[in-house]
Amino acid sequence: MIKHSQLKQISWVIFFSAFVIIILAGIGFLITTNILFLGFSDFMYYLQKSRTWINIATTIWTASIATVLSMFVGIPVGYMLARYKFPCQKFMETLIDLPVMVPPAAVGIFLLGLFKTFPLSSATSILGIKVDHALSGVIVAQFTVTVSFCIRLTMASFKTVSPRYEYVGRSLGASLPYAFFKISLPLAKNSLLVALIIVWARSCAEWESLMLFVGGIQGRTDVMPFAVYLDFVGGKLGWALTTSMFCVLIAIVSMYAVHRIGGKAHVR
Amino acid sequence: MSGSRRFVYVLYAITILFILSVCWLFLSNIGYTDTQSILELFSRPWFWKSVRLSLLTSSVTTIIAIVVGIPASYALSRFNIPGKTIIDILFASVIVLPASTIGLCLMVAFQYEPILKIQQALGIRIVHSMPSIIIAQLVLALAFGIKAWRAAFDDVNPRYEHVARSLGSSRMRTFWKVTLPSAKVGILAGIVLAWTRAMAEFGAVLLFSSTFRNRHETQFSHIANFLGIDRADILPVGMWMEIEGGNIEQGIAIGFVLVIITLLSVYALNKISGKGSQANKV
Repeated sequence: MIKHSQLKQISWVIFFSAFVIIILAGIGFLITTNILFLGFSDFMYYLQKSRTWINIATTIWTASIATVLSMFVGIPVGYMLARYKFPCQKFMETLIDLPVMVPPAAVGIFLLGLFKTFPLSSATSILGIKVDHALSGVIVAQFTVTVSFCIRLTMASFKTVSPRYEYVGRSLGASLPYAFFKISLPLAKNSLLVALIIVWARSCAEWESLMLFVGGIQGRTDVMPFAVYLDFVGGKLGWALTTSMFCVLIAIVSMYAVHRIGGKAHVR
Repeated sequence: MSGSRRFVYVLYAITILFILSVCWLFLSNIGYTDTQSILELFSRPWFWKSVRLSLLTSSVTTIIAIVVGIPASYALSRFNIPGKTIIDILFASVIVLPASTIGLCLMVAFQYEPILKIQQALGIRIVHSMPSIIIAQLVLALAFGIKAWRAAFDDVNPRYEHVARSLGSSRMRTFWKVTLPSAKVGILAGIVLAWTRAMAEFGAVLLFSSTFRNRHETQFSHIANFLGIDRADILPVGMWMEIEGGNIEQGIAIGFVLVIITLLSVYALNKISGKGSQANKV
């Protein structure tokens, strides 16, 4: 016989867990209907198309370049924000957060305007770089949106490392750059790796800002999320779904990697 | 010591350069709009309908996210639910899904044969209807909200709850009087974050709900007419429509409106989470 108090305990747990189950049911509903709708034979058919694989390759290498670029900015700025104070800190942090919190479509428009106005318009024409309808534009857009994301994550990573280790190193005669490269960076290694993976996955998923900034040309600038949209609008639903399944796969695999490495960086 | 000083200066320089370039990204576009077109935009009833629709949908989305998300994140934070690892990975991966994938997934799910039959039997159509905006926004708002709320609950030491329980407080009372007030800051930050995300949603809404401005009056319900949100689009979609239609000045103006809304809510978010000890940070 279950005691009254035990019953209460169980109903308490069940009440809260029910909400988790509701959300899981929602996700499960989305995934199963999509898989059933696509069907196995269609999936196999689109796997044999070379464009599917070209899209995947394009996405992976553009996202990788964008990630490396954002890490180059993200590590120093994140370290700075984690360790030092500066005037109007909250406002500055808000400005840094802006590119990722503003609707990405708006970022796309603003990037378009940015590359059409004076310093950058002449710089790109002198250097002969083409941003619209080219992959360099894709990388610029991915970088812009993910860099503030990256700064948030690296800042959280450096905050997990107690500054005391650096103080000890400094007191033993290490210079600040030495303490940074030999103490803080190795200690924050795991969470920085997690940050890298999340930023990479986020750049793979960037699409909205590309729509207005780069514009879609099939076979040239269509990274996976963009190909999903183009195929959907073009009526090739099966192909769009196949590509979208790969997007889901990338997201789940990278989050699994994050879970295995076990950093506790907070995405926002 | 000069090496150390140089290092700090370089860090400062990179940070300031970055902040300036973010400012430049937005400010360089001021030339594309002017006061006249901004005033023109403000005099259009369509714009105010869109503002109302945006605020309404994102607020309703946030409320749904709160009702479902806060208990769920409490459960994830406190109980040993079987398969928790898989749940964690699933929830986290929603955050890094492309908006187009989310939109397409929703589209296909609600157009799937048996689901469509259920909708027909009930006499409703979800795809391309106004309530579908809320469904599309809810996906990301919930994912981000749960992340923040869970961190907030993780920060509250369960020992306080045990103490309250041992002093004879009921579970419900402990939850309301001990757990929620201790996690207050993180929960509030999560709410603001969910609202901001819902407000910024564009891709999923575009695919799942499409646009409303060109539809006929009779296609809207009495509720929509009463609230004054008929033939309106949420702001990001409206901006996109303006730009695609060649109306760059007003499109950029809507973009600036969105930037200002985001600036205010992110500032509020940073203020709130700055107050909490560790909540919402790591």
